[in-house]
Amino acid sequence: MKVFRFLLLFIIAFQSNAQISDFNNIDFKKADSIALECKDEGLYNLPELVHKLTLNLDTDVERFRAIYMWVCINIENDYTLFLKNNKRRQKYQNDSTKLTNWNIHIRRKIFKTLLKDKKTICTGYAYLVKKLSNLANINCEIIQGYGRTSSTNIDKLNAPNHSWNAVELNGKWYLCDPTWASGIINPETYAFKFEYNDGYFLTSPKLFAVNHFPENEKWLLLNNPNLTFKTFLEAPIIYGKAYNALAIHDTPKKLHNALRPNEKVTFKYQLIKPITTNQVHLIVDNGFVDRKVEPNAVQIKDDTLTFEHQFSSTGFYDVHLLIDDNLISSYTFKVKR
Amino acid sequence: MKTNFTLKQKHNGFIKPVNVEHFSKRDFSKRTLSFIAIMMLFTLMSNPLFAQTNAPTESKVTNQELVVKGIVSDEFGPLPKVNVLLEGTKIGTSTNKKGEFTFPKTLNPGDVLVFSHLSYNSAKVKIIEGTTTIKLVLTSDTIEMIGDLNMEKRFKSKRSN
Repeated sequence: MKVFRFLLLFIIAFQSNAQISDFNNIDFKKADSIALECKDEGLYNLPELVHKLTLNLDTDVERFRAIYMWVCINIENDYTLFLKNNKRRQKYQNDSTKLTNWNIHIRRKIFKTLLKDKKTICTGYAYLVKKLSNLANINCEIIQGYGRTSSTNIDKLNAPNHSWNAVELNGKWYLCDPTWASGIINPETYAFKFEYNDGYFLTSPKLFAVNHFPENEKWLLLNNPNLTFKTFLEAPIIYGKAYNALAIHDTPKKLHNALRPNEKVTFKYQLIKPITTNQVHLIVDNGFVDRKVEPNAVQIKDDTLTFEHQFSSTGFYDVHLLIDDNLISSYTFKVKR
Repeated sequence: MKTNFTLKQKHNGFIKPVNVEHFSKRDFSKRTLSFIAIMMLFTLMSNPLFAQTNAPTESKVTNQELVVKGIVSDEFGPLPKVNVLLEGTKIGTSTNKKGEFTFPKTLNPGDVLVFSHLSYNSAKVKIIEGTTTIKLVLTSDTIEMIGDLNMEKRFKSKRSN
């Protein structure tokens, strides 16, 4: 019995490194173009869809890629459905019978909408990826948990609000988020726009954990006792583009920070691909004006990016990291004497 | 012969992480080594066995030419538009408004039919000698439907000033 536990440790240790770089030798162009060719297929005949998506691909990772890509470029995020579901879930949150009944009702409605209009909410994306993968004999799970974005109200994060997938490829488990990969909701009009983000495909579990916390912690795919729901709620905000630039978000560890005037704060990240120092900027917002500043002591050594910043006067600052003018992460600093 | 099938929820192979803090390092390497040794031995010994099972399978029951009909439902009643496919092929049909189907090709014992529908768990039914009618009840996942939005809006602190 003990022997199995040791084996388990190996499996877990192995998994913590499971990410896209395991497949550097594979070119996903073929899988992606097959997904694109199947663009007009419906969801009435799933085995046929899976057959078309996977027939000419040789490896499980490519077959999974074609399925995942198809879902990401074909399924829309349904804002109205989200709103309707969210309202009721909030209303019934202390009444389990009503919540269960509502869930049965909305599940039927969600499946109907997905089938007819190819529109859904998070769980629908994750469900479809799992369903299609299973038909291709690929082991895939829906992970229910907490997702954090710039618009998430942390105080109300008392029940899971997001779904994503874990997939088993060559004996290792990997993470991906088809909902956030497929596109974004316009903050003013609430209209959905397809905008595929490749960063959410087989992401480094360490970066994923910054804004994804599973209900069942084994799906963090990390063996880090310092990572808890509390540290997750305190973590900085990261954006979609962070998934294209970073492998690990190291410091600052928290969204809200406090320090004294002229005290140095160090920022540290692991990069996915090399960049140059002049691509790194900070936006410092003191509540009245935004200032775009060059950080101090910017260093890029191997894959590690470090730089510093200090505030000369007291105040409350929102600070945003930009790489290539893309929004990567946000922090706040309370500067007090 | 009538066969009733109900699909049970699938267990995946993921093993629960355990707390391993209380094992010493020496213990660890010794046990692991012995375990690896056992696994290697097992691998070496079991492989040749597989290699010998290539003998032709008996064809006693193959050419039975069964016409298979059936009805598919869920807990509430008959299910239309369920896909019925012969595993490993593109041959198939789907259920009509009453949840009924007649498979377009005669089947042999050992053939497997795959039943699928977006809203339900897929089910596989193996044809055995004498199967002519399949009565299948599909189940669905009781998953909670949730979803939050990602608007990629720049974070702004709520300030009192």
